[in-house]
Amino acid sequence: MSIQIKNLTVTFKNGVTAIDHGNLEIPHGIFGLLGENGAGKTTLMRVLTTILTPSGGTVMLDGIPYEERNYETIQKKIGYLPQEIDLYPGLTVQECLEYMGDLSGIPRRICRKRITYYLEKTSLTKHRRKKMRQLSGGMKRRVGLIQALLGEPEFLIIDEPTTGLDPEERIRIRNLLVDFSENRTILFSTHVVEDLAATCSRLAVMKKGQFLYAGGVQELVDQAKGHVWSCMTSDPVKAQEVEQRYLVSAKQYTEGGIQIRILSRERPHISCRPEQATLEDAYIYLTNQ
Amino acid sequence: MKKECRIVLPFYKTAFAAAFVVILSLVRGVSMSLEIGIALEPAMAVLAAAFCADTYVLEIVSGRSEVWRLYPVRNRMCVVGRRLVIQELYLLLLAAAGYGCFFLFQGREIFSFMNPKPVGELQRFLVYLGAIMVTLVFWGILSHTIASLCRNLWCGIGGSLILWILTFSERGDRCLGPWNVFSYTFRNVEDSSDMSWLLGKGVCIICSVAMCAALPVILKKRG
Repeated sequence: MSIQIKNLTVTFKNGVTAIDHGNLEIPHGIFGLLGENGAGKTTLMRVLTTILTPSGGTVMLDGIPYEERNYETIQKKIGYLPQEIDLYPGLTVQECLEYMGDLSGIPRRICRKRITYYLEKTSLTKHRRKKMRQLSGGMKRRVGLIQALLGEPEFLIIDEPTTGLDPEERIRIRNLLVDFSENRTILFSTHVVEDLAATCSRLAVMKKGQFLYAGGVQELVDQAKGHVWSCMTSDPVKAQEVEQRYLVSAKQYTEGGIQIRILSRERPHISCRPEQATLEDAYIYLTNQ
Repeated sequence: MKKECRIVLPFYKTAFAAAFVVILSLVRGVSMSLEIGIALEPAMAVLAAAFCADTYVLEIVSGRSEVWRLYPVRNRMCVVGRRLVIQELYLLLLAAAGYGCFFLFQGREIFSFMNPKPVGELQRFLVYLGAIMVTLVFWGILSHTIASLCRNLWCGIGGSLILWILTFSERGDRCLGPWNVFSYTFRNVEDSSDMSWLLGKGVCIICSVAMCAALPVILKKRG
């Protein structure tokens, strides 16, 4: 399963262009989507789920064009976890998932099996009898993810699936997604760069409705290679001066002074040493160029 | 069905609807049992509009409608249909209970004015049940349809209220006559042979069927 996006434009009625002539190819496997708030990530996902009709351009899912006559066929192949979803507060976890499984037309016996499997995988088995309103934010997020996985879709679109999860749970969810991605396509949108670094081999970076980058994770990291520096100073005034002059990706108070991680094309004027670039460095470097 | 009941009939909703009917039967004075139907119909219409407006909109408000969009239209239709049936049945039950409440709270006054004929009373109650059922279905589906079209609960309630004001008025009665959706309320209660009010109920049924037929398109386009 692959998705081709050509010249995609989404302009809202108020004149705001959320996606401006975007071109992208999403191959099978986990594909990351990074970008600041308002970059157009959610709009892109809404187009891909057929919720939003683009103003221009074409989208193809495995050769099927996104046209109204094909929407039903496309919708059958998609699972979606929106950024904000409040599942039925009066139902238990089990009931809620069964209800959504019924709605999507999954045979009841198969649905129950899958629910048991995914509850186990997301450590929610002991909470299955709890009402949705009694769950924590992270638990609700996991139930939301299960509803998206229930139909075992060929194309899974997930918007911030790891929001509110503790580190251990995040790792578990990431592993679940990696297993799920075998022979499937997952579009994984998140602000947690670490999650993408651990799961994706390819990603796209969006800013103000445009794709700044689309390609391999390593290639993106390579772009920041030689531009990441680390310096140490005990003088707060000097630290402030560095912050004003350079792009700082991290700052930490240590016993030896203030450690600052700088992203700069040129070697900074203060004493510093080169550092290994991470995906987060590369993302910040790219979006601030 | 059990899950559906818990989704569309949360405690606060059932409680406010029951309280509404009880309070109405306490404060709305009637002098004859003939007037109970007249007292209940317009009020139950408002209640049905407020009660059913969120049948689908609750999916939009909670953000679940984005996931619903991926489900087959047929399944979505079935769920919305089931929800409407559950709510309408509850309202019908309340309407019947409300009729009883009038007797319970104002029984002495009612009986002092009427000629006690138990068979006539039962017949009157059954006619009322039939009329109120059509009224509840019409106003419930109307508010649900407007709310789904506008993707807003208040539009559903407000839109229905505008029609309510227009039809439940002297002018509405004068202009529409027996074709008024409140023809049962405006009928001559003392002339039991006059069945022309059925025309108004026929209008309600036809409009309800038309709105139900439009539901798949509304869910597809505005869901």
